[in-house]
Amino acid sequence: MTLSALVRRNLTHFWRTNLAVVAGVAVAVAVLAGALLVGSSVRASLRALALERLGAIDQVVTSQGFVREELAADLMGADGMSAAFSGAAPIVAVEGFVTHQSSGRRASSVQVYGVDERFWAFHGLEPEGYALNRNTAFVSDGLARELGAADDDALLIRVEKPSAVPISSLHGRRDDVGRTLRLGIARVLPGGELGEFSFRPQQGFARSVFVSLARLQGELEQDGRANTVLLGIRGEGAGARGAAAPLATAEAAVRATARLDDLGLRVRTLADRGAFAVEAAAGLLNDATAATIDAAAEQQGVRVEPVLTYLANALRVGERVVPYSLVTAFNLDLVSSAPRDDDAAQTPVVLNGWAAENLAAEAGDSLTLEYYVWEDEGRLSTRETELRVADVVPLAGPADDRELAPDYPGITEATNVVDWDPPFEVDLSLIRPADEEYWDEHRTTPKAFIPLGAGQQMWGSRWGQLTSVRLFPADVGQDVGALDAARQQFSDALRASIDPLALGFVVYPARALAIEASAGATDFGLYFIYFSFFLVVSALLLASLFFRLGVEQRLPELGLLRAAGFDARAIRRVFLGEAFVLSVAGSVVGVAGAIGYADLIMWGLRTWWVDAVGTTRLALHVSPWMLSVGVAGGIVSAFASIGWTLRALAPASPRSLLAGAVAEITGVVDATAATPQTRSRVWAVALGLTVLGLLLVGLASTGVLAATAGFFGGGLVLLCAMLAFASAWLHGRPARDTAGRWSLSQVGFRNASYRPGRSVLCIALIASAAFIIVAVDAFRIEGGGVELDRQSGTGGFTLLADTLLPIVHDPSTDVGRDALNIGDLYDAAGPLAGVAMQRFRLRPGEDASCLNLYQAKDPRVLAPTASFVEEGRFAFGQSLAETAEETANPWLLLDRVFDDGAIPAIADQTSLSYALHLAVGDDFVLNKDTDRPIRLRIVAALSDSIFQREVLIGEQQFERVFPDYDGYRFFLIDAAPDRIADVSAAFEDRMADFGFDVVSASERLAAFHRVNNTYLATFQTLGGLGLVLGTFGLGAVLLRNVLERRRELALLRAVGYNAGHLSLMVLAENALLLGAGLAAGTACAIVAIAPAWLERGGGVPLLSLGGLLLVVVATGLLASLAATVAAVRSPLLAALRSE
Amino acid sequence: MLEVSNLTKQYPTPRGPLPILTDVSFSLSRGDAASIMGPSGSGKSTLLYIIGALEPPTSGTVRLEGADPYALGERELAGFRNTKVGFVFQDHLLLPQCTVLENVLMPTLVSDPSSAVTDRAVSLIEHVGLRDRLDHRPGELSGGERQRVALARALIQEPPLVLCDEPTGNLDRDSAEAVSALLFELHRAHNSVLLIVTHNAELAARCSRRYRLNNHQLEAEEKRSPTS
Repeated sequence: MTLSALVRRNLTHFWRTNLAVVAGVAVAVAVLAGALLVGSSVRASLRALALERLGAIDQVVTSQGFVREELAADLMGADGMSAAFSGAAPIVAVEGFVTHQSSGRRASSVQVYGVDERFWAFHGLEPEGYALNRNTAFVSDGLARELGAADDDALLIRVEKPSAVPISSLHGRRDDVGRTLRLGIARVLPGGELGEFSFRPQQGFARSVFVSLARLQGELEQDGRANTVLLGIRGEGAGARGAAAPLATAEAAVRATARLDDLGLRVRTLADRGAFAVEAAAGLLNDATAATIDAAAEQQGVRVEPVLTYLANALRVGERVVPYSLVTAFNLDLVSSAPRDDDAAQTPVVLNGWAAENLAAEAGDSLTLEYYVWEDEGRLSTRETELRVADVVPLAGPADDRELAPDYPGITEATNVVDWDPPFEVDLSLIRPADEEYWDEHRTTPKAFIPLGAGQQMWGSRWGQLTSVRLFPADVGQDVGALDAARQQFSDALRASIDPLALGFVVYPARALAIEASAGATDFGLYFIYFSFFLVVSALLLASLFFRLGVEQRLPELGLLRAAGFDARAIRRVFLGEAFVLSVAGSVVGVAGAIGYADLIMWGLRTWWVDAVGTTRLALHVSPWMLSVGVAGGIVSAFASIGWTLRALAPASPRSLLAGAVAEITGVVDATAATPQTRSRVWAVALGLTVLGLLLVGLASTGVLAATAGFFGGGLVLLCAMLAFASAWLHGRPARDTAGRWSLSQVGFRNASYRPGRSVLCIALIASAAFIIVAVDAFRIEGGGVELDRQSGTGGFTLLADTLLPIVHDPSTDVGRDALNIGDLYDAAGPLAGVAMQRFRLRPGEDASCLNLYQAKDPRVLAPTASFVEEGRFAFGQSLAETAEETANPWLLLDRVFDDGAIPAIADQTSLSYALHLAVGDDFVLNKDTDRPIRLRIVAALSDSIFQREVLIGEQQFERVFPDYDGYRFFLIDAAPDRIADVSAAFEDRMADFGFDVVSASERLAAFHRVNNTYLATFQTLGGLGLVLGTFGLGAVLLRNVLERRRELALLRAVGYNAGHLSLMVLAENALLLGAGLAAGTACAIVAIAPAWLERGGGVPLLSLGGLLLVVVATGLLASLAATVAAVRSPLLAALRSE
Repeated sequence: MLEVSNLTKQYPTPRGPLPILTDVSFSLSRGDAASIMGPSGSGKSTLLYIIGALEPPTSGTVRLEGADPYALGERELAGFRNTKVGFVFQDHLLLPQCTVLENVLMPTLVSDPSSAVTDRAVSLIEHVGLRDRLDHRPGELSGGERQRVALARALIQEPPLVLCDEPTGNLDRDSAEAVSALLFELHRAHNSVLLIVTHNAELAARCSRRYRLNNHQLEAEEKRSPTS
């Protein structure tokens, strides 16, 4: 006989009780390990999905503009590239708007890829099987299903036509921003054949079209050019290692191989000028590039003459006018030696002889220069300036230089002036024969010259202040060979001075980022653990309860052991040995349960809750590590909770053990122990816990403590406080005066204080379930109807629209409407009469809302106009407002200036909390790990708004940091609710070329709510499971109480109590415990969530909450049924005889 | 050998201390058998548990072979009970999960193991007439048999003091007679101090010394020679 043999005997002899303990531990382990498995499964599924979508991609090189296709081969030839990457493939990747021709179904935000055989070979597929001709396309399975399209169906694919010239500049082609391709579907590609191809992580089905590279290049007028180069992964798991070295390798390769024309620059020899010129494809050289040119020129000893040439609408002297002339701003000494004061109040102008003659002007005359300016808000304005004629120079030599003007699309190539087709209005009736003659002979030769500074003041823009830089190498004269050599030397120096990564090139570590983003915006595992916490606690409480019941049964045995000389330690060793075996056994069962539980949840996520996760491709991934952590956690928790039960044995005297009367174990109140002092201590503890809980909640509401910690920590502490109150109350009842009406229900209530420990445990079980159910349900958002309140989540807007192509014209003005060809729709009887809209600049990026499971590392950015900001719509939660104006309208915070250069940003509270994991005052860095990080500082949080997919910054800041994203691509529309359909149809029809996609604002908000509510439903299910456990525990405790008191009940029956009386007593006891549990759980939940709930500004779904609590009551009362039946059926005589 | 001096026991209650024992003193020598009688609630069992080092007195001392158990630390106290005191309870308190032999051996689990204890246990079991029931569980024994096992368990460590709390209280007359005969037989064989708390006058009459607890105080009755 050994102690371990005794443990074995105990385990087998008390198998019923032990089985219950094992079941409790198993449930705890299953829930805990299952929650961890859910988290790891979601992460693993996202990762698998992301990697499948990437195909063979490791990294992606993208360029803002289009580059030579050959760059792909050049990159692979750079140092270290062939060792780091398996290959490179150039593609064109643009966003498109696709219409299924026969059904008219439309899909926006579709990825359109121009690919050739190199793309398929890159991914290890046989290119022969994927040949595309100019008129066919492959579509992804997801897009085909969305459109209801099949093989051979025709698609209309609208894509943005790239333009080197910014469309928000005077010469930008605002009327020619898109192209439509009509293509037949050659095949629908399944996932295994790159149908899910994408290099940006998003869990929904990929919506993509693959078209012939040559066809797309042709349509976009980018023959032989691409905007994306895919770099292939070499070896398994290269990306998983973090890709740090390959990223540097690829960046170095880009720096080494990109040519000036890949950067939108060219250096042109001007042999007859003894110079060469640096020009930009955009028409303007930006300031940074101009500075680099200066530096390179200085390094090479080359003289620099910056040039800015602009189109004047008119040169006017008195009544004489010369229309549409080019004017060059540069160093006037190049064309005139006449004395002048460039800084005089009236800017000097030098005219060529032709202009002076046509204007009948001479030195000293005043000249009016009229010119167009494209205002940022989207309109053309005409300005005038008064100049003083300083000199008239012959149309010869430096003044006869048509190369001073850059290429103006629609102008430079025109044969006659009347053939001009510029992107702005010209009055061709003003063109005189003399003007045509000048054009014939001199083309774009400037007719007037002004000082550079004056020109830049009038015509400089955020895209640059120079159209070209003339460079004059020393000592080359007219020697073309020497000039070419100097040009080449300068070009090389310039190229070496420019960092392509600062001029639109980006090396995107797609694989590493996909793996990183797979960690998920929402850590399901963590949330499941949070919400499973009370479930785990319930299971452990149950396990502990059953273990305690087992110990209770064996108290005299413990007394005997003590009497026989076992000290407390030896006894504890025996019981801990049993506890360990039971915990391990429970854990083993729990592992199976965890896998089943996680599989069930994953199945739920794919089916019931697919609205929340947006994909059906989540699958169970059994992670031994996560299982081990869950099992270890379960064993430790179970062991600890059983150990906690055993701690009460230490002070128990052998005599009390022999008598089976250890109050700490049995919970039977010991009248000698329950002194007023003891009760006072319990009350004091309860009060202390209440204060602590409220403090935690308060700290969370003021932002000192994280909201999650406040919610769960505060809630838990408050719940403990309530239980302490219950314990103090129940312990105090036996000493209370029982005078007064003595009813059966009071006997039932008194029974609850028979064993206060058990009663408190029952209250704890019910309270935990009620806490979760109430807390979660309070966040559920009802409604979804049209909301016109300007402080609501829609801001009072009824519609919102995204466009594929940028719109630069202002649809709020008559001129803009006419330019967009929608002016007639605003007539009094038109569908858009009285409809107002607000527009936003947009930098595309990842979806920062709960619709995207991946972490948004680079969220999309919106910038509202000043008029939107002034309206002060939408409701805000927290903000950094300091003034009354900012408090009244937190949008004004977007104009705040931070000393450290951070850009003020606003985002939705939900996105901040759950997707971006930020709080007001926090910083978020865009373009992290690049040379151009953009630091955003969250200055305000919107309450439950339609802006959950993005962050918003001020328009001026947007133009500064995202100069390449022209125009407006997001619109909010004020339309009367009864006209929503007509307004949507009118916009979508007339603005189809822009890919104008209108949706109901309330529907967009409801989509977010659906996800939110689906998450909540998931977590409420956990609360429901907790309720099941609680009910089970309640039933078990009541049954146990009834069985222990069967003699007392038999006596009552002997003196005339009937079944109804006994049932009433048991029900009263049960109702008391249930009511106390519900009240405690509900009260704690309401207090704990109050800050978050108030911040969110939501209403209380009283109906559903009331319904849920009713279900809890009904379920709890059902639990008493078994106890009642047991009480009623208790054999009278047998019970009495046993006395 | 056993000296009890000025023992007092009180329980605290909300209404003030509740006296159980007041100034109890007596002494017993090796080979003595004593009984304590008294009405229910008079404190008989409390006195027995105090003497058996199961419950400390409010004041006064208990000395067994010169040692005061309440001056010992927890571990030493447990060792004291294990080796110096053998208990027999009214409700035999056998471990239902263990066999007869294992129940008898139970006190030896926490003392120095020796190969001789099993032989001694078998011998004791044989002595109480249950040699053929070694592997039986308590559930398979009658009430008298269970109490005989409890007797063997009380003597397995050969303690100098054997304390019995109503050892025949749950038994029928024949079984009670058999158990009490065995009890005194074993007492003589082991030459220990035997102290019995009982309502049974016949059992008490077998003891060489008899006491009665009245009004919390112990009174010695007329001394008679033991009947065996």
